[in-house]
This record gives sequence, structure tokens and C-alpha cells, in this order.
Amino acid sequence: MSERLNVKDLITVGIFSVIIIVLIFIFGMLGYVPILMIALPILAALICGVPYMLFLTRVSKFGMVTLMGLIMGIVMFLSGHTWVPIVTFTVCAFIADCILKMGNYSSIKNSIISHGVFIIGIMGNMLPFFILKDAFMSAMRTSMGNDYVNVVAPFLQTNVLIVLFILTFICGLISAYIGKLVLKKHFERAGIA
Amino acid sequence: MLKMENVSFSYDEMRNANLKDINLGIGDGEVILLCGESGCGKTTLTRFLNGLIPNFFDGKREGKAYLNSDLIDEMPIYEISEHVGSVFQNPKTQFFNVDTTGEIVFGCENLAMDARDIKRRLDDVVSDFGLRHLLDKNIFKLSGGEKQKIACASVSAVNPEILILDEPSSNLDSKSSWDFKGILEKWKSQGKTVIIAEHKLFFLDDVLDRVIFLKDGKISNEWTIDEFKQVNHRNIGLRQLNLDNLTAKHQDYYCSSPEFMEIKNFKFNYGNTRVLDIDNVRIPKNEIIAIIGKNGAGKSTFANCLCGLKRSCKGELILDSNTLNRKDRLKKSYMVMQDVNHQLFTESVLDEVLLSMDEENEEMAYEILDNLNLIHLKDSHPMALSGGEKQRVAIASAIASKKEILIFDEPTSGLDLKNMMNVSENLKYLQGLGITSFIITHDYELILEACSHVLHFEDGKIIDSYKMDEEKLKEFFLD
Amino acid sequence: MGLELNFSIDPRTKIIILAIISFMVFNDVPMYVSGILVLIPFVCLFFSDYKKAAVIYILAYVIAKYLQMAVLPNATGILAIVLITFSYTATRMLPILMMGYYTIMTTKVSEFIASMEKSNVPKDITIPVSVVFRYIPSVFEEIRSITKAMKMRGFGFTFKSLKSPLKMVEFYMIPILISAVKTSDELSAASLTRGLSNPKKRTNLISVKFNKFDYLFIAISIAGIAVYIYYLCGGALIA
Repeated sequence: MSERLNVKDLITVGIFSVIIIVLIFIFGMLGYVPILMIALPILAALICGVPYMLFLTRVSKFGMVTLMGLIMGIVMFLSGHTWVPIVTFTVCAFIADCILKMGNYSSIKNSIISHGVFIIGIMGNMLPFFILKDAFMSAMRTSMGNDYVNVVAPFLQTNVLIVLFILTFICGLISAYIGKLVLKKHFERAGIA
Repeated sequence: MLKMENVSFSYDEMRNANLKDINLGIGDGEVILLCGESGCGKTTLTRFLNGLIPNFFDGKREGKAYLNSDLIDEMPIYEISEHVGSVFQNPKTQFFNVDTTGEIVFGCENLAMDARDIKRRLDDVVSDFGLRHLLDKNIFKLSGGEKQKIACASVSAVNPEILILDEPSSNLDSKSSWDFKGILEKWKSQGKTVIIAEHKLFFLDDVLDRVIFLKDGKISNEWTIDEFKQVNHRNIGLRQLNLDNLTAKHQDYYCSSPEFMEIKNFKFNYGNTRVLDIDNVRIPKNEIIAIIGKNGAGKSTFANCLCGLKRSCKGELILDSNTLNRKDRLKKSYMVMQDVNHQLFTESVLDEVLLSMDEENEEMAYEILDNLNLIHLKDSHPMALSGGEKQRVAIASAIASKKEILIFDEPTSGLDLKNMMNVSENLKYLQGLGITSFIITHDYELILEACSHVLHFEDGKIIDSYKMDEEKLKEFFLD
Repeated sequence: MGLELNFSIDPRTKIIILAIISFMVFNDVPMYVSGILVLIPFVCLFFSDYKKAAVIYILAYVIAKYLQMAVLPNATGILAIVLITFSYTATRMLPILMMGYYTIMTTKVSEFIASMEKSNVPKDITIPVSVVFRYIPSVFEEIRSITKAMKMRGFGFTFKSLKSPLKMVEFYMIPILISAVKTSDELSAASLTRGLSNPKKRTNLISVKFNKFDYLFIAISIAGIAVYIYYLCGGALIA
């Protein structure tokens, strides 16, 4: 890490973390319906592009994005989502930060890709559920028989997890691209970006 | 002891300098006012003295600023903060904590003071400013005046020799402004040096020692307080120091044959407390009406109910023989909020006006924008405009949506004389269009300039409703 | 009348309990095993003026557990799937969610910072986290204000607005983001003038220390997880 983060950077991270967290929680309310919970990462990926791209206009040092991931993980943990998000958010944010650094914090392409990677971190919120589903599956098998389970099974396998992973990444890319358009349409003209 | 030698500064090299060749000396214990029109450079000057330039704001700098014998720009800002405390204009964005006690001791904790010393300072400050009843409260639940008191207590707790205040009373009502004077007097009695940049002058007069008037980034005049009292403030674009000098401009109604609307049964509860309790009141139509009252008197609640924004308020407005319930009122009213940023949604001024129309009519939009002197900004992004311009855009949208009742919430907070007069002109323009305007305000000058009727609120009731009467107003504002 | 228990635990204890209860999510065990850990959030909420939440929590948990154990073996059909999904989710997530709710509702920002600083957590983490807790209420205030403005311009929750949900999202996001940028700048400037950039370690007015409740609850949590692990490893011996 070349430069230490100063007070302004730390406060920026805090404030933008709130925006993204609030968005995730609001859309996450929908996720309490068990089936829709699977769609949560995709929803989050679609909605967080705009604030993330705006955040990036104030980032020019390594560590801010990583820190944001860590902070988000911590807030998720403190609100009862287990410590899994801490790991997933921080790791994804770190990779996103590296991608940004490779583009010297000024490449739009890298910014968009970094968002795709960053937002995958949110899968940490639902990973515990997926782990749960396996046990749930075996319990159902014993009680309801195999045919029944085979109908439901396709929705609950690890394959779904991988598909979700990819979809989330792609949606992350799309929403970051939209974010870039919004930056141009609004924030640059408002003199803020 | 502060000194500035040949200081010049511009935020943006492409534009004019914001400060030009400032030479200034401030002695220990002096209380100085920095005044001038919007954009004259007073805020920029304060930023040199508290270290925000160069630690936070970049730009082209020339000249030197000294704190005692040290160069300010060679000191790290946390060291400067031990000697210079700063209070800013917006009570909402300067606090770091959610609880009041934590906020008061925040500065002391940052400077790594010993816990026992911190406790002592806390007790001192609480007794100096009378804050016992505000300890351990949620800052979000405090009024603007209370928030500023906490901000002042917080900087005072660190016990700096110098205090820099940047338009601290902008968002305060008249009682809180007078309370603020008490804080200044306390600091003066403690021998502190106070530098205050302000538009609102009426609560300052016998606290000040010297007045510095800035124009276009230069120091144009300096006076002692006695000399300043003799100056004609209006001529140099300043608000009044002595409110007694003003007279009401509209002792009669604007309309030659005034009609009236009637408000019935506006009652509203917040939890179990009744905060609005109006049985019946007649209000003149198509006038400019001032809504005055202390904090918490029910003015905002009334405004929200009038606009139809409060679901559980089941009152009626009788206008032109029609009885309007909540939904009707929502269609006919519009509130220009104190934070106009929350009402502007689109990417251009023109779009903003078109958005308000049921059927888009560009010609009419152009006409409205032209009348409000916004036509040259029609393609600009609303958020890039100045505060006054944004307000006019909100007014334009209201006119475009054919609203008949407009309510303004503190439209002139922090505005200098010229901009306040612009607001007054806009209000008169609206009156000419047949619109009834309500202004929630504590700006005595504005009321005398534009209003023709006054509603005085207290404890949720309208205790007085009268045609413009200077004597009655004076009683409320100048007690 | 009654117990003046004056119950409060250090933020660090809450974090430790959260971390321990997290493990519950990964496995399903009978109630006599998970009982200790399930009761911890209940006790915390009950003795901290959140009695209603505590009672709702425990009822929901018991119902979910009952559904899971009694209904599951005999259930068929769509309804069964829904109920089973609910009960599985609830029994695993409820304890940690309620503990999280308790943590957020009862921890003061200054107390949180003080305990983090006592444990030498770097400023790089304490500052953003405190900004998060301080800024969340502001965002909600803004959402309320924007909603009011939208209602006045005819964009309440009507058909007109539901037809274009993207526009609604845009209307909320732009003002909130612009405000975020402004607040970020103003808060940073104000904080700098109050010495936040001081490299020296901060001190605190309130001293945070572990009290008897902290030790008690940490001990109980460890006991709880020990029972858990024992069951999972040598289950046969108990069952």
C-alpha cells in the first residue's frame, strides 16, 4: 500500500458503504421469501452499479475498495448474517481493488469489471442458506421419497450456486455500465463527478 | 494573534481569484465580523485561518497566514485544531456522533486528552452553556438551534484560543439566534478571539469589536462597531444590524377586494400528543402570508397538513366555495422545502418543468422559465445551479403544475440581502398569478418586505391571525 | 417493583456471541442441544427493554421447531414445502438475526468506538464503521423527505409511478447520492477541524470494561457451542 488512507478517504468509504448497504437491505426485504432469496445477489448486482461508480470517482488509492468490502462484511455480521459475508466481501473487494489498480484507477473498463467482482461478495449473505439446503435435501429425501425430491432438487443444488455466481457477475457488469451512463447524464453535469 | 499577509487564493485557476491580496491582523480577544455579499470570499478567508486551506481545499495560494508566530500551512491540521475551533453553517453535517455527550467530547478525545480532563471540560462546558438537559440525547432529535449549541460546546470543550464561525446562525430561528449571542458573549468574557462570517447581523451588535467588509475577494472597508452602526447597510448590500430601522412595505392586502379561505378542524397527533389543534380560521386568499412561531409551535406540521401530506389529518379547506379534503389539497398545493435538493429529480431545468405538467407543453414551459429568469439555464442540470436558482426551478415546477397554494419553508435561510430581495420579487410574481403563498420564516426583513398577512403559531394553535402589523411583529421578533 | 437488573454487556461480548451463534446456522440439531445458544438472544432482548421482540422471537422459534419436527415427517404437497422451508430457515437464522438486532439497537456509537479502540482496532476500521452508524439515520431522513416531495408532484404510490419503477429508482437515487457526496465533504472538513487526523491514539470519556454479565455470557456461549460440538461429534452417546 503506497499511500495511507486519510480522514476524507475513510469517511467517504463509510458514507458510500451506507448507500450500498441500505440498498441491499431494502431490496433484501424481498429476499425473506425463501424462493426469492436466491435472486437477491442478482438484484443487488443490478442496483449497486450507480453508487459504486460514483464512489470510484473519489477513489485513487489502493485500499479504499477493499476497506469498503470489509466494512460491509462487518455490518452484515453485526446485523446477524453470520461472519461468512466478512470473508466473501473482503476477498471480492480486494480482487476488485487489484483490478482497479491495474488500470491505475482511471480505466473505465477496469471500473466496470471491478464492480462485477465486488458485488459477488454479497453471496456471502446467502451461502449459509445453501449449506443448509443440503441437509434440508437429505431430510426431505427420507420423508418424501425420491421422485418428490427429484422434482425439487434441481433448484437446490450446487449448480445453481455456480449459475448464480456467473449471473451476479454479469449483472454487476451491466449495472456498472449503466452507472457510467448515469454518471454522465447526471453527476458530471451537476459538477459532482 | 492571527495575521494574513498578501494572501490570494483561487479554487479554480481558470476562474477569478476568490481572495485577492488580503492583509489582516487580528488581536487576542477581539470579536470580528466578516461580512459582504454572497461569494465575496468570507468563507474562503475563514478556511485559511482554520487550516482547511490547504489541508482540505486545493487551489492556487499566495501569501502567508500566521497563527501567533507559526505559519498556518506548515502546521498539521490536528495541531491547528488545538488552537482554532470551527463551527459551520449546516448543523446536520458537522456532527460525527449520534449521541450529544459523545459529540461534545469528540474533539477532546481526538486530541488524546486524559479521561479525567475530558470529564472536567465536559462539566465546564455544560455549565457555561446551560446544556444539562441536552446530555445523552439523540442528536437527530434535536432542533437546529440545539444542534448548533452542541456544536459550539464541542469546539469549546477543547478550549481553543480562537473560534471561527462560518454563518452559524443560517438555519436558526430568531430565539436561537439570540441564544447564540449568549454563546458569543460567553466566549468574549473568556477572552477568546472570535471571527464570525455572517449575513444575519441583528443579534450581533454589542458583541462585536470590529467589522471587516469584503467585496469581490478584497477587503473593501473596515470599521469599529460604533462606526459600523452609522453605515447605511442596505446601500452596501448588507442585512440590517438594527431591525428597528425597518418598516413594513405592505400594510394593506395586495388584492383590492380580498377573498378568504377557511380552514376547519386541522388536528394532528404525534403519538399521543396533539401537536396541531386548529378549529376554524379564515385566511385571505391570493396574499403572501407569513407563518411565525417558536420552534415546535406546529408551523411545519400545519404546512404538511395543509398540503395534504399527513394521512391522519382529517381537516378541510374551504376554497372558492369548494370543500377540499386531503387528496384535493395534495393536488392543489406545493411545498418548496428548505432542502430544495430533495425536490429536483431530472437532468435539466426544462425537463423539471415539463415533468410537472400533465401534458407536456414546451411553449408554456419556456414562458414560465423566462418569467423567472431561468431561460438561459433551461438545459443545465438542476443540481449544478445555485441555491437561489434551484429554488426558482422548484417554483417554476409548481407554477407549471397549476398549483394554487404554495408553501415555502424557510426560503431565505442564509441568503444575503440581494438574494432575499429576489425571493421577495418571486413571491410578488406568484401573487400576481393568483397564487396564495405561505412563508414559514423567521426572517424579519423578508416578512416586512413581502408579506401582507401573518399567522402566529404557538403550541399547535393559531394564537393570532392579522393583517400586516409592524408593532405586533416587533413584539415577537425583538423581545 | 421487579428486577432492577441494569443489564448491559460490552460491544465486544456481543461480537463474540454473534460469532459463536453463527455456527448454529450450519447445522441442524435438536432443541435440547441448541437450547442454550437459542436462549441467549432471548435473555439479552428481554432484559433490555425489548420484551416484545424477545417474546415474538421465542414464539416464532418454538413454532418453527415444532413444525420442523412434528409436521415434516408426515407432510406432503406444496404447503408442506413452504412450511418446511420456513421452519428450516427460521430455526437457523432467527437466533443470529435477533442477536444482530439486539446488537444494533443497544450499542451506542461512542461506546462501540471506545471498546474497539481499547482492543487496538485501527482507525482505518473504526472511523468508517462509526460513520456507517451515524449516517444510516440521515439516509432514512432523506428518503422520507424525497417521498414527501414526490407525493406533492403526483408520484406517490400510484399507478402512474408503478408503471415506471426505474424512474422511481432514479428519482430516489440521484438526490440521495448527491447528498451523500456533499455530506461526505462537509463531515470530513468538520472532522478535520476537530482533530480526527491526529496520529496519536484516541482516548475516551467512558471507560469500557467487562462486567460480570460479560464474563457470564461469554462463558454461557462457550458452553453452548461446546454442547453443540459434542453432539455433532459423539452424537450417538447422547441420542
